[in-house]
Amino acid sequence: MKSHLRSLILAGTGAALLAAAAMPGVAIAQDQPLVIARNLEINSLDPHRAFCDTCQIYLSSTYQGLVRLAADDRSIEPLLATEWTANEDQTQFTFTLHPDAVFSDGSPVEAKDVKWTFERLKNVQADPSFMMNGLVSIDTPDDKTVVVNMESPNSEFIGILAAPYAGIINSDVATENGAIAGEDAASADQAETWFLANSAGSGPYVLDTYRPDDELRFRVNENYWGEAPAISEIVIDQVADAVSQAQMLQSGSADIAMQVDPDTASTISSPDITIETVPSYNFIYVMFSPGAQGAELLDLEVRQAMAYAIDYQGAIDFTVGGEGALQASPIPNGFPGTDGLPMPEENLDKAREILASKGLEDGFTLDITVASLNVYGVDLTLLMQKLQQDLARINVAINIQPVASAVWREQTANPGIPFSARFYAPDYYGSAQYVQFFGMLPDTFWERRASGQGKVDLVNQRQVELFEQALAASGDRMNELYHEIALEMIKDRIIVPVVSPNLILAYRNEIEGVRYSACCNLPLAELSRK
Amino acid sequence: MSLTASGNRKHRAGLPQWATLPVMLGGVILLYWIVVGLTIPLWAPYEPTMLAGMRFQPPNAEHWLGTDALGRDVFTRTLYGVRYSLPIAGMVIFCAVLIGCTLGAIAGFVGGIVDSIIMRLVDVTLSFPPILLAMAVTAALGPGLGNAAIAMVIVWWPIYARLMRAQVLTVREREHVEAAVASGATRPRVLVKHILPLCWSPIIVNATMDFGQVVLLVASLSFIGLGAAPPTPEWGQMISDGALHFYRWWIAAGPGIAILSIVLGFNFLGDGLRDFLDPRSK
Repeated sequence: MKSHLRSLILAGTGAALLAAAAMPGVAIAQDQPLVIARNLEINSLDPHRAFCDTCQIYLSSTYQGLVRLAADDRSIEPLLATEWTANEDQTQFTFTLHPDAVFSDGSPVEAKDVKWTFERLKNVQADPSFMMNGLVSIDTPDDKTVVVNMESPNSEFIGILAAPYAGIINSDVATENGAIAGEDAASADQAETWFLANSAGSGPYVLDTYRPDDELRFRVNENYWGEAPAISEIVIDQVADAVSQAQMLQSGSADIAMQVDPDTASTISSPDITIETVPSYNFIYVMFSPGAQGAELLDLEVRQAMAYAIDYQGAIDFTVGGEGALQASPIPNGFPGTDGLPMPEENLDKAREILASKGLEDGFTLDITVASLNVYGVDLTLLMQKLQQDLARINVAINIQPVASAVWREQTANPGIPFSARFYAPDYYGSAQYVQFFGMLPDTFWERRASGQGKVDLVNQRQVELFEQALAASGDRMNELYHEIALEMIKDRIIVPVVSPNLILAYRNEIEGVRYSACCNLPLAELSRK
Repeated sequence: MSLTASGNRKHRAGLPQWATLPVMLGGVILLYWIVVGLTIPLWAPYEPTMLAGMRFQPPNAEHWLGTDALGRDVFTRTLYGVRYSLPIAGMVIFCAVLIGCTLGAIAGFVGGIVDSIIMRLVDVTLSFPPILLAMAVTAALGPGLGNAAIAMVIVWWPIYARLMRAQVLTVREREHVEAAVASGATRPRVLVKHILPLCWSPIIVNATMDFGQVVLLVASLSFIGLGAAPPTPEWGQMISDGALHFYRWWIAAGPGIAILSIVLGFNFLGDGLRDFLDPRSK
């Protein structure tokens, strides 16, 4: 009876679709909201405070940068800027803005907005602020020309501008609503709440509604100055786990599922669903924080020993069923400077030898927390349990306490977590972002946290010098320098990448334009229905 | 349940009066789990945290209940789970009975302002849904089995306080108590020697029934991440792992059946004991 009913419904739906295709009403399909199932995990929607994977999707759809990352995930294309030039030593960049570019309220995108945006990004001193490191001043000789002056050479500056966090904000609207770009922005800016309900960019979509842990809804930007996107409304539905995402996809309540892991994907057999597996630049890493409370033993040699005790291939097999790759350094495979880096090595004898030389052959115990999250198909708690087994082989016991992701974020800053796991996705194509986030340079995200806000000195001077040179170099020389930096980062043993998981794109057959983007995860404006 | 119970209340030759079918059935189930809990390290096929084979194996000859996402043997982990659930349930019930009965007895016996204070405290605590209160307390104390146990004691003691107070109020009016008072017995002696011994039946019945509920609550707290930390083979934690891999039914099936059997066992036992000790409350 059930199957009869299903056949009837299917036949009915098929007939309706055929009829729809035959009539001019095909546009109706594009008017239906497109539903994406995803664990939102949003920390903020303020472009300068947000720092999360969903934020990348959101910001790249509602805001536009001066440039953007092309579909090849490497080259840069013009966006709000029609052209740009750099002086010889890469300290001054001049941009000409597109004459037609307008914000979602219809007002033109002007040089003052660019100046305001970059200054605020720097001055709010939030997670993505490192992208404006070295910014000295911005001149606006006329409404459509912007001149950015940097303190020191920065060959990667144009690449950085393709990051979703560098999208240009409508400064008039934002200022009216409490946003401040001045040097006191970190404490005086009050706009974060306003940004939770409004967007102020020039992108193809605008924020319709955001309900935390429920949904993020986009509607098309009526004043969009480019080619209008095919789908007029897109909803990202909060669906925490891969199984529920897959179920929604199969039942038709979602059109795209974004975090289906290989194990769950193997259970999907519906002919209506396309599943693609693509390599990604995303990766899961473990980090050591010698400055954290209870991490006194974690000096360089002990960290080295623990890194040797990890069964990297096993971790890939256990967490993503082999659907992933080893990664040598915190700069992901395929980024400048990563060719020929030594892959992580499991060597129990060496690990035991090191610990024995330190009188730690009987091991020690670490109390750690890990975020209860499933990212890129990897359950972080499960990964830690695998590592727990690995480390037990050298008598290092770890007591795992899963916590909410927001709690984890706070704990890494204070009191610190001796050893834990986390994930990272690129914001643009370029290696500097990894050095600025993971490198042991003064005041990088992980230098601060791993050192317990400076309790132990972890700064690697060689890295500082190499990075300075890399930013001033280009071409092969730049690659060589990033290669050396990567080797230094491996030697530091603060960040140890464990797996670069393949990405699974799972979507209903009628959806077109689903692709992985290195900067922005999923470019929403490229989606359409057949 | 009542059919089985009444059907077996007839006295059968050769068996003591308390040995009804539910009691024996419950007893056998619990004896099984107690024996398993005490002896499992001696005969378990694998270590509970050992990566024993390929991950996600469905039940087979080597792994009777299959393997989980890390290739650990679900059967072994299920059996080891009782080493966490039963002792915690025992400890929680013991502490709740101790605290609840002491305060309940004092409230019932002393009366007046003491009674009012204790009973209002009981009312306040009982006005929260148990799972919500346990979650709040565990969240405040921090996750972990120890803290979950403390939270459950906080949830459970008022039930015994109320029960004990009601018993004490009834018994203290009896003639033998008046006789003891008249013969000059001290108040504590009257309470301990002449009242309390007559109050235990409903407490024992209730405690037995509650055992199962505590096992369930421990599992619930672990399921939502407030109880046992991984890789502890705790049943709620295991079911939570299984929920992540919904299509691999066997990961959650083992601990699910274990919880079912142990709750059922305690309920049978409690039911049977009630029929014998306190038939009026049936």
